[in-house]
Amino acid sequence: MSLLKVKNLTKRFGGLVAVNDLSFEVSPGEIVGLIGPNGAGKTTVFNLLSGIHSCDAGSVTLGDREITHLAPHRRSLAGIGRTFQVVRPFEMTVLENVMVPALARNKSVAKARETAFAVLKMMGIENLADALPGNLTLAQRKRIEVARAMATKPRLLLLDEVLAGLNPTEVAENLPLIRQLRDQGATIIFIEHVMAAVMKVSERVLVMAQGALICCGTPSEVTNDECVIKAYLGEEDPECSL
Amino acid sequence: MKPKHLRTFGAAIFILLLLVPVFFKSTFVLHIYTLIFFYIALTAAWNIPAFGGQLSLGHASFFGIGAYTAAILYVKYGVSPWFGLLIAVGVSLLGGVILSLPLIRLRGPFFTLASIAFTEVLRMVAIDWRSMTNGSVGINIPFKPGFKNMTFTSGEPFYYLFLATAVIVVLLTYRIRNSALGFHLRAAASDDEAARALGVNTSLAQFLALMWSAGLTGVLGVFYVFYNYVMEPNTAFSLDLFSLQPALNGIIGGMGTVWGPVIGAVLMTPLGEFLRFYLSTIQQGLHYVVYGLVLILTVKFIPGGILSILEPLISRKKKDRDKPKEKEERS
Amino acid sequence: MDLYIQVLVSGLLLGGVYALISIGLNLIFGVVRIINFAHGEMVMLSMYLTFWLHHLYGMDPYLAAIVVLPVMFLFGVAFQRVVVQPILTTSATMKIFTTVGVSLLLQNLVLIFWKGDFRTVQTSYSMSAFEVFEIIVSIPRFVAFVAALLSIIILYAFLKFTFAGKALRAIVEDNAVARLMGVNVERHYLLAFGLGCAFSGLGGVLLMPFNAVYPTVGVTYTLLAFVVVVLGGLGSMSGTFLAGLFIGVVEAFGGTFVSPALKEAIYFGIFILVLLVRPQGLFGMGRGTEEVGLK
Repeated sequence: MSLLKVKNLTKRFGGLVAVNDLSFEVSPGEIVGLIGPNGAGKTTVFNLLSGIHSCDAGSVTLGDREITHLAPHRRSLAGIGRTFQVVRPFEMTVLENVMVPALARNKSVAKARETAFAVLKMMGIENLADALPGNLTLAQRKRIEVARAMATKPRLLLLDEVLAGLNPTEVAENLPLIRQLRDQGATIIFIEHVMAAVMKVSERVLVMAQGALICCGTPSEVTNDECVIKAYLGEEDPECSL
Repeated sequence: MKPKHLRTFGAAIFILLLLVPVFFKSTFVLHIYTLIFFYIALTAAWNIPAFGGQLSLGHASFFGIGAYTAAILYVKYGVSPWFGLLIAVGVSLLGGVILSLPLIRLRGPFFTLASIAFTEVLRMVAIDWRSMTNGSVGINIPFKPGFKNMTFTSGEPFYYLFLATAVIVVLLTYRIRNSALGFHLRAAASDDEAARALGVNTSLAQFLALMWSAGLTGVLGVFYVFYNYVMEPNTAFSLDLFSLQPALNGIIGGMGTVWGPVIGAVLMTPLGEFLRFYLSTIQQGLHYVVYGLVLILTVKFIPGGILSILEPLISRKKKDRDKPKEKEERS
Repeated sequence: MDLYIQVLVSGLLLGGVYALISIGLNLIFGVVRIINFAHGEMVMLSMYLTFWLHHLYGMDPYLAAIVVLPVMFLFGVAFQRVVVQPILTTSATMKIFTTVGVSLLLQNLVLIFWKGDFRTVQTSYSMSAFEVFEIIVSIPRFVAFVAALLSIIILYAFLKFTFAGKALRAIVEDNAVARLMGVNVERHYLLAFGLGCAFSGLGGVLLMPFNAVYPTVGVTYTLLAFVVVVLGGLGSMSGTFLAGLFIGVVEAFGGTFVSPALKEAIYFGIFILVLLVRPQGLFGMGRGTEEVGLK
């Protein structure tokens, strides 16, 4: 049985159809890459899955529970964790940042401190526990963003460009992380522009263009797909839609 | 988490304050101290929603509700104010529920406006509902000394009552800030959407914060009316005295921190009394001109409040001392 | 029945002025994106200005508009430059406190210089009225309504057809893009603030023949203007106009049939109800409302 089932998902902003009749499924334990040119609607999909935006049509099912109209915090509690493309740390220490999601699940501050510290350790940034995010590098802040999402103990983790803006060394350092997170029990969908990373890590790739899913398959299948190439080169082809 | 010597320092001040009425018999001195304690408690209570970034300029509503409820129950129905206190808190909480309805939709400046409007509505109701509130004439508490009537022949009982209230409210805000609710509020203040995406029900957190704040402010209204014997709509629901003043104390001390309200109230109350007494004799309204200027200048030059200047001094010492210990714990 | 129509008419007439004051606020809000807690004080100042011009120089209150409008325009420009510009990039809290501070300052400076008395302007037409179909129409209220309506139309035409007006609308639409398209955004902030102040000031002038002025009168108008703007939809001119009329009518009916003391309480109540049922306002909501906390 699939963990996530998205059916006919649609979102309009005024006259613009940001996500158009999107359907896909994700199996437990998968690592799925979500790619597409700028403005394809990838982040909107994440916003719809995490409940930040409400969809105009379609349904989202997590496990056997329909979550289409659930409030964002309830979706998080149901098991959807996410990071934001632009990192959004709270104005508190790194440890406290990671304690926030833990405290949404268990009111004990002492326990949350332990949980948060364990997550930081797993992410290899326990030395930053007392630092303020504002004083850290982008790579470090992105790790905090992921740590915070991991502290929600997600069944499904949505990573929005956690590698963007990092230098090649940092990308190389962070790549194994995605697999590691899956080994922690999270199924992963990640948006990424660093193609090498997508090809290396993902088991399946979804390609979006202009709000619609145009291709889906293994990394090698996708790279050889004509529609995908055209989408990236900006050519339009009415037959290129699933 | 405060360094130990600060705690000792606090305890020492508390003991000294307990002794003040023993050595100073002047009613004026006691009155000023009492007023400082009152404003510490009021500002600290006002500050709870501010943990979550909500700026209320409508706390006079909860204050007035509390004051009126207890006063009406006592004067009209002979209910002891101590029992009336419970009912007053209940009604203040109800007021909190009503004000939190717009809070579901409104954040930031619009919540602030709604809170002002809410107070204005209550003020008008208090003026109009003559059969209950005696209209704009107000309610006088008859002078019948006795513990049961919360009426005393000297200022000392109220001195201790307000001192105890201030200490309790400040400790309570300390507890709240360091609890799950406190974390949720701070997260919501910092980035509401991100907090929700992490599973925090920010609306619930803001609601709870407002309820705590409303209930405590209601209690203060009850104590204040029995301390002052009189209550009329324009005072009870006064924007200046009970909405703006705690906000001013808060911003000057450090909004959204535990100790900011204490610092703000300790500094501003005597200054406010001085200005009210001396400047008003020179020129009516002059002291609010000073307030307006203080507000604008504080926001411009020390937006984090006085605490933001003091904190680096304190925490530097704290870090030097705590560092070796922390490392031991971790390794 | 006659009574209802009578109340409806006086409510609509008053609502016209409320719309004018609120449109000034909406323009400032839409362009500069600041919640100005001292907005009512602009109305208060222009009411005083009208009063003094009448009192000292015997100037007719309507004629006083010739002086009040440019003065309030300059006041708005100066306010934007000195008070608002420096705090534009700070947090919402700081903006609230600064403008609240200014409001406190203005109220009490006025109290110091001009005392707390209720002041009114008595003219030959203050009490006069005419009758249409047995409905009594007060002349100053009628003039106020017509003048308000005319100025709203003029403002609308200005925004629609002039280059500066189009630039203002572009800023309302998307500040960053307007900037990229070469609009001098800061200069248009000055213009918007000046215009907003002048139009709200005109509202003050029009109110003066049948309303009293006192130092704290502005608080009511600040709240009123925000109620109207939120109900009408931020950034929507026509919405604001309709909501202004609506609030005028509500106030008239509340004042007549419930209690004069509670007329404001009633429209605040409606305000809160509408927010719960239809948070985007009665007539839709403009852009950028989320960034100031309205969602």
